[in-house]
Amino acid sequence: MGGESNEGEMGLNHGDDQSGISRVGMPLYAKSDPFFSSTDWDPAVNVGGFSSSHYPSLAMDNPGMSCFPHYHQTGSGSGYPDMPASLLPFGDCGGGGGHFLGSDKKGESVGRLVIAGDGHQVSDDVVLGGSSNRKRRQPEAESQWNKQKAVEEFQEDPQSQKKQKNDQSKEKMNKESSQSDEAPKENYIHMRARRGQATNSHSLAERVRREKISERMRLLQELVPGCNKITGKAVMLDEIINYVQSLQQQVEFLSMKLSTVNPELNIDIDRLLAKDLLQSRDRNTPTLGLNPFARFQGTIPNISTTTAPQYNSLPQTTLESELQSLYQMGFVSNPSTMSSFSPNNGPLKPEF
Amino acid sequence: MERQIINKKKRVFSVEPNKIPPSEVFTRKYTRLLVPALKKLNMNKNSSQANQLTVKHEVDMALALSAQEFAWSRFLLQKLSSSNNPTTTTSSSSNGIRIQKRSGKEGGDEDGEIEEKLRELQKLLPGGEEMNVEEMLGEIGNYIKCLELQTIALKSIVEDTT
Repeated sequence: MGGESNEGEMGLNHGDDQSGISRVGMPLYAKSDPFFSSTDWDPAVNVGGFSSSHYPSLAMDNPGMSCFPHYHQTGSGSGYPDMPASLLPFGDCGGGGGHFLGSDKKGESVGRLVIAGDGHQVSDDVVLGGSSNRKRRQPEAESQWNKQKAVEEFQEDPQSQKKQKNDQSKEKMNKESSQSDEAPKENYIHMRARRGQATNSHSLAERVRREKISERMRLLQELVPGCNKITGKAVMLDEIINYVQSLQQQVEFLSMKLSTVNPELNIDIDRLLAKDLLQSRDRNTPTLGLNPFARFQGTIPNISTTTAPQYNSLPQTTLESELQSLYQMGFVSNPSTMSSFSPNNGPLKPEF
Repeated sequence: MERQIINKKKRVFSVEPNKIPPSEVFTRKYTRLLVPALKKLNMNKNSSQANQLTVKHEVDMALALSAQEFAWSRFLLQKLSSSNNPTTTTSSSSNGIRIQKRSGKEGGDEDGEIEEKLRELQKLLPGGEEMNVEEMLGEIGNYIKCLELQTIALKSIVEDTT
């Protein structure tokens, strides 16, 4: 431990011993947020993420925490339970970070979160070499996402390491950056301060969190009909709230109606479903053909055609594709429970 | 209609033949849960008030059971099982009023306003208050979808019986 003390001090003053472990505290966060994350990871876009193969227990323990094992100074897995909330923002950095990465390429802020390897001082090559095993464990443990990204990051500018170091000292996310020799083996998540913004670790974390929230709100925007043109969180939230309320009211109203109406004792479920799905399917086919398992963005054309007040017609247009993308992102618990029953086994794209 | 059903049987999924789209899964689960429950309810006709409540209860229960992949469904189940009286999932008018009030604030309050609204949203979601904001936003998305599906299903049930 003593010999490795240098590397131990990533900007987090982290207890190095567990650095490997703590770094790994990132389960595949593609699964941590199935609703929004995409299953097709663009390696250039994806951020961080450890395969749970090496550290299955930790991955399981902290499903919500993906990106920043070094977030807390305790540095051990035990640190995570203490701050699930703060880690969660980074837990979805793939979803959010993906966009960050995109923006980063424009030279703007670095939403990219790079999990730096151990040790920072360039002079500590020896130490780095010594600890390299541990560091390499991590990249191997990690998914393939960030490898290319890390490589290009570290090879691009050694001089930025200093800046990174500065940032690191201020942000808990960053592990060490300066070993360019370690670069190919590391997956890094850099959280760089944007121009003109505070590099305070708190504000950075806050910003990431906020960006994550904005990301989710954008996805919600695509869900809620008629919100495509709305900009601004407050209005958007209003719309969402109203929509949810109206949906709930509708359900209540329908259930009241149901209670007053005598259900026939011979409700044909299959017939019901056929009628049901037929309606939704017909309206969906134009868009479904495009992208059956697309993310929500892919279903935008669906939504924008409908207006907000017409909730009755709306759901039928958006549900199929959206919900299936939802499920496809990792949820599908028992997709085929009812398959034996259904007469409609070819719902979505029969014409394909 | 029978013809249509038979024709549909011949169709296959183009992309993933073995998977049923989740919305369909949900809808099927939902109707299959709800309709028998309703039939059972129908056997004992109580007063209309009690009937309404129980129907609502069944409706919510079917929703929760059909969407067990999501966190909010667990909370909903808890609520339902903890009380015989169905908890309404609507909290309509009061929230609406509050929202309008909030929108009057400007400027420096904006963030606070947003926080308020997020909290509103949390209240709408079953179990939303126990989640943090990011998680809640994710859950709201699939909650909305399931609600939409539920309304479709309910509508078709109602239409079927009228």
